[in-house]
Amino acid sequence: MPLERISKGFKDISMTFQSNPLNRDLIGIKNETAISRSVKNLVLTSQGEKFFDSSFGTKVSKLLFENIDEMTASIIRDEISFTLNTYEPRIEIISISVKPNYDENEFAVTIQYKIIGIDVLPQQLSFALQPTR
Amino acid sequence: MTLVNFTNLDFDQIKVSLKEYLRSNSNFTDYDFEGSNLSTIIDLLAYNTYISSYNANFVSNEVFIDSATLRENVVSLARNIGYVPRSRTAAKANISFFVDTSTFSTNPLTLTLKKGTVCLSSSTFGDTNFSFAIKGDVTVPVVNGIALFDDIEVYEGSLITANFTVNSNNPNQKYILENSSIDTSTISVLVRNTESSSVSRNFVFSDSILNVTSESRVFFIQEIEDQRYELIFGDGIFGKKLDNLNYIDVSYIITSGESGNGVSDFKFGGRIVDNNGRVVTDGISLVTTNVASRSGKEIESVESIKKYAPRIYAAQNRAVTANDYESIIPKIYPETESISVYGGEDLEPPRYGKVFISIKPFNGPFVSSQVKDNIKKLLRKYSVAGIVPEIVDLKYLFIEFDTTIYYNTNLASSPDSVRSIVSQNITKYAESSELNKYGARFKYSKFLKIIDDGSNSITSNITKIRMRRDLFPLVNQFADYEICFGNRFHIKDRNGFNIKSSGFRINGLSETLYISDVPDSNLRTGKIVIFRLISPTEFVIVASNAGTINYEKGEIILFPIDIRETIKFSGGNPVIEISTIPKSNDIIGLQDLYLQIDINNSTLNAVSDEISSGADASGTSYTVTSSYENGNLVRS
Repeated sequence: MPLERISKGFKDISMTFQSNPLNRDLIGIKNETAISRSVKNLVLTSQGEKFFDSSFGTKVSKLLFENIDEMTASIIRDEISFTLNTYEPRIEIISISVKPNYDENEFAVTIQYKIIGIDVLPQQLSFALQPTR
Repeated sequence: MTLVNFTNLDFDQIKVSLKEYLRSNSNFTDYDFEGSNLSTIIDLLAYNTYISSYNANFVSNEVFIDSATLRENVVSLARNIGYVPRSRTAAKANISFFVDTSTFSTNPLTLTLKKGTVCLSSSTFGDTNFSFAIKGDVTVPVVNGIALFDDIEVYEGSLITANFTVNSNNPNQKYILENSSIDTSTISVLVRNTESSSVSRNFVFSDSILNVTSESRVFFIQEIEDQRYELIFGDGIFGKKLDNLNYIDVSYIITSGESGNGVSDFKFGGRIVDNNGRVVTDGISLVTTNVASRSGKEIESVESIKKYAPRIYAAQNRAVTANDYESIIPKIYPETESISVYGGEDLEPPRYGKVFISIKPFNGPFVSSQVKDNIKKLLRKYSVAGIVPEIVDLKYLFIEFDTTIYYNTNLASSPDSVRSIVSQNITKYAESSELNKYGARFKYSKFLKIIDDGSNSITSNITKIRMRRDLFPLVNQFADYEICFGNRFHIKDRNGFNIKSSGFRINGLSETLYISDVPDSNLRTGKIVIFRLISPTEFVIVASNAGTINYEKGEIILFPIDIRETIKFSGGNPVIEISTIPKSNDIIGLQDLYLQIDINNSTLNAVSDEISSGADASGTSYTVTSSYENGNLVRS
């Protein structure tokens, strides 16, 4: 019988650094919200950005300056997949979709994943990748 | 749980500490996941701690002279114990030239060579041209139409002048010489009452406040950042205090240091005026070089400051112990590459009250008599009653080697290429500071490693070591000689011929003679014999008791002998080379013996290792090399 992983839940701080109006404590984010924030952080962190860990993050920000086509979309998908599998043990990826949106010069990213250890429905995270400069 | 070990210098360890803290003190849980916001915050905190720890560590290291790395901090710490690091030293050359004034319309009485640049290196030396300057004007009389500038000492570099006006309203006024690369021994300071005064007074450099009174016209120097120097004048208690509006003229030479050495061809590039103030441009002869440029040196290194500053402080400007001399002499004679000092009480028989100093200069094997006298004179300032310093010549103990290198022919183009690489490596080792110092030790195993590591084609080596002393005989007079090796001799043969020498002739006999030994039955001492050769393997003893040998001490004493001539010469002087095999292959430089690997008298053979190369895998025709000395009776 496989071991069942049961987590007490995940709790992270919010990067808005806003305080809770009731108890004036720092706002925290929990479980699926905390994990979706972590997934987004992983994808949007460039390699070399993290101190003393140059392999952490993805090359997505560089790839956004490549030609917008299916080839680049495929590389971005691989990058995201590799990073999430390496650095986010709390999720199990169901699918990653990266579609070039030629009109808006962006890639539409949709990640579907299951959260390991807490009893929630599969999650879907969608965001657009756009070069900024 | 409290945060511990906050001085950790490892980023990951700091992160672990922070996570441990959060694990027991926080409601948050996501610090373990690298993508979380909390992880970013932890990274930031850890990085901040890391930088703080690093800075704290760095600062605390820089507080102590032993661990400081930045030059200005080391200099500053040395300053606290009264040590001024040696500046860069300009190379000095001596030149001569003359000016023929016979064709001048008016005959001058004197000619003056103005201070500043005098000559230039006539050909490009390396990639650079060097200029040479004098510190002050040189005036010579014109005799029979010729003005002879004879043996002028010129300094490599450019003469720079700087001026300061004393402002007593500014208590923080500093007199900083803006150039780096200054030879501080060339700094000259003249002070006038005001800028418009015509009378100037000379101030001299002082390196201590001993004998400095309130009226002494002295200045002190200290090195500040970027290898620049600051002049410090007296305060009216130690040294004369300068008055408001006093005008200071400073001149000094900035130099290239060591790279200015060895220039021997010069062309004139100076300025000459006659006693009427006219500039002389005609009749100037070619420049002849009396002495090529030498003695240029770089600024004292950080390592040297760290080594000598505490020692000079310990010596307290008094030469009492051997260590005091070892610290003070490099200060007064910067050409010192290595120095050995030992008290007369260590000698056999003891010579109490004497201290023996042996100096290896950078440029050459020996210190000239003139320099020795000069050092003795300078040492008087530091000497105490009852100790007489005596500077003795270096005694070289040469190390010769016979090496056979086995190499894989598949990995080397030729035996010459293997020999060449090994020879270069040995030369580097011979010139290294590990060996070129007193009290050095020749390490046999390291030497073998240097040979083996020369190339990946080298499979092994067989190296035999000899040590040699050169005896410089007093020709045509009876004299006895004592030759110390400072290392125990190996007795290979109880019948003798453990000592080998080069040939010599004595008065009264025409044949070439050689020295050897016959051990006593105790194998600790023996007799020195003199013999002649009939054939390479046959000999006739000429004198059976010509001296004594002590194998344990490594000492040979020759009874009075009248040597007429020698077969070999060294530097034009007759020499008898005496060599032997040491008991231990690790050879030490005892007391004043200075080790030197003599590559010219050594052999380096390269032999194909046919087993390794596969040419003769069974080893049937393998070339065997003996690990023992040949049976020759004399030195070849």
